[in-house]
Amino acid sequence: MVEKLEDYALGKRIRNTKGAIKKVGLIGGGSMGKEIAVEISKAGIDIILIDLTQNRIEEIKKLLNDLLDQRINRWGMTSGDKKMILSRIEFSTDFCDLENCNIVIECINTKKSVSSIEDRKDVFKNIEKCVSKDTVIASNASTILIADLAIVLEHPERAIGIHFISPTASVDIIEVNKCVITNKETSDLIEKFAKMIKKKIIHVTASPGNISTRLIIPLINEACELLMEGVGTVNDIDHTLVHGFGMQMGPFALADKIGLDKLIKWMEGLYNEFGDKKYKPSPILKRMVRAGLMGRYVGEGFYRYENGKRLLKTGSVINLGRESL
Amino acid sequence: MKILVLNCGSSSIKYQFFNMENEEVLAKGVVDKIGLNGSYLQNQKMDGDKVTLEGEILDHQTGIEYIIGVLISKKHGCIDSLDEIQAVGHRVVHGAEKFKESVRISNEVIEKLEECAELAPLHNPPNLKGIYAMKELHPDVLQVAVFDTAFHQTMEPHAFMYAIPYSLYAKYGIRRYGFHGTSHRYVSKRCEEILGKKDKDLRIISCHLGNGASVAAIRGGKSIDTSMGLTPVEGLIMGSRCGDMDLGALTFILDKEEIGLSAANVLINKHSGMLGISGISSDMRDIGLAAEKGHERAELALQMYQYRVKKYIGSYAAAMNGVDVIIFTGGIGENDIITRGEICKGLGYLGADLDVEKNEKLKAKEAIISKKDSKVKMIVIPTNEELVIARDTFEIKKW
Repeated sequence: MVEKLEDYALGKRIRNTKGAIKKVGLIGGGSMGKEIAVEISKAGIDIILIDLTQNRIEEIKKLLNDLLDQRINRWGMTSGDKKMILSRIEFSTDFCDLENCNIVIECINTKKSVSSIEDRKDVFKNIEKCVSKDTVIASNASTILIADLAIVLEHPERAIGIHFISPTASVDIIEVNKCVITNKETSDLIEKFAKMIKKKIIHVTASPGNISTRLIIPLINEACELLMEGVGTVNDIDHTLVHGFGMQMGPFALADKIGLDKLIKWMEGLYNEFGDKKYKPSPILKRMVRAGLMGRYVGEGFYRYENGKRLLKTGSVINLGRESL
Repeated sequence: MKILVLNCGSSSIKYQFFNMENEEVLAKGVVDKIGLNGSYLQNQKMDGDKVTLEGEILDHQTGIEYIIGVLISKKHGCIDSLDEIQAVGHRVVHGAEKFKESVRISNEVIEKLEECAELAPLHNPPNLKGIYAMKELHPDVLQVAVFDTAFHQTMEPHAFMYAIPYSLYAKYGIRRYGFHGTSHRYVSKRCEEILGKKDKDLRIISCHLGNGASVAAIRGGKSIDTSMGLTPVEGLIMGSRCGDMDLGALTFILDKEEIGLSAANVLINKHSGMLGISGISSDMRDIGLAAEKGHERAELALQMYQYRVKKYIGSYAAAMNGVDVIIFTGGIGENDIITRGEICKGLGYLGADLDVEKNEKLKAKEAIISKKDSKVKMIVIPTNEELVIARDTFEIKKW
């Protein structure tokens, strides 16, 4: 016999449900969107993931499935965990489905070569049309100031930057970037959210690039300089930082993982903001992007990738590592 | 006096409601999928009334509210008001060295329990949630914590220490604590009652074989050694936990598979054991069926399981200079005739002689399965951890 649980609630309700985080909306199911969805779902929170078209959603579902299978094969979770995670993620192309979300995080990944700020502003506006006035609207953008997005909102005090770092499963921090008008309710809810998804907050004073991107970009640019000057090979430069300084991956492996096209956008964002040469995209990065060698997601960047394995390229720098172009 | 026993897991709460005048269970059930989609509460009364309630259960407090709501409801309940719950006993997994026996919960005890959570990050926090929730809902009720580790606190240092730098024990309390203490305590006590002797030297080897499994060496009612350690991973092969293995092998795997600590933890806790070897399931029944059909790895998994238990029996007999009783309990120990039979084969050197016929007839019931003239008694005793928790709570309430 099955009955409704609500009929058995105690007369006095002590528990205060206000401020509970039940559902989170994600805009964009790119590589970060998927990783973030998994992290949030693991914490038992329902998710609605919005993307542009039904075809794109079918593709995201497949890639999400592959991502979780990969984690199972790498002993990171069980098939039971996968089932549970997927059961909490819904997909839609309609912003109206964000209606009951407590937090909506924009994590779009445009393939355009220009800054994504205008697209992100549109997303912010569209979110606000569909959610209640208490919903926190956040952006995962790395080099865009949250204040620049907040201004398009009718209630800008609910805007906040939450920057996840990949691989989100093992990185236990998020960078949280408030702007001057972000209110206490918003920061409190994000504190609670971070606790639920078991991430430590690194508070960053409003600055494009936060800490992570500001540090990584000059490192990758300088590695490109070393490569172009012939000081070391891709492998030797990466090896030095991994084995000499205990980094998880070297600058070239990292650049491939981020995606060189995305990286250039970050660099241009920071260069436009600060005007400092150290953020200006290295010429070799631009050449590689023009040649379509965008990194791991296309199968080739500074390295080649086959069946998930990273392989060395043996050609000269002039030929972008290939034997001949 | 009526006592509610709660066993709060990460996303579930199991409960039993006792009338301690006759130790009768008035109602029992489970709240499952807390904080997840599809959460529900299942309640069963001893008169046969069964109900499943479906709805949203976001946290442990809501879960407990609904348990009480059902218990005091006209339709499915067995009491008229909250006040009839005169005490609440909680299963708490890890009591570290701070708790050697069951304890009345006070603010000071809660603080200590919070400190213990570091040693059992998966188990103690949900146990604590149950305690906080009851404190909110029924502030004046007596609450008691009953620990899985407490029974093994009688182990001597030579049995509980790891041979690693002593400073790590001093700094973090890294040592063997053992688990399933409430079960080992119940069956060893029950065994004394069945055999009608309270011998201060009675040597018992208690095998709790369930999805999690451990063996305990018990002399004169006191645990002198047990197979689980700082965490429940050590010792026997379990459903999906590896049990004893070379730590060097683990660091080798970390290096070769390029995985971090979190994946290593999932590997040894969730991908290993019977599931890892057989590749079929963590459930002994599935593996048994596959082995019958000639599945080689299922057969191997069973052999490894039985061999590991037998090795522990031998080593605990050595530790106690012999053994008088071997107890089987837990889902597998109580029901799995073949596993029990295989473990007991070849224990003749100890003076343990299995009555094959008795063993084959016995499922989920209390009985002696050794031959009449067997020097060592072998006995199956269904465990009842909830009753121990209720009894301890009752004793503390009486004071």
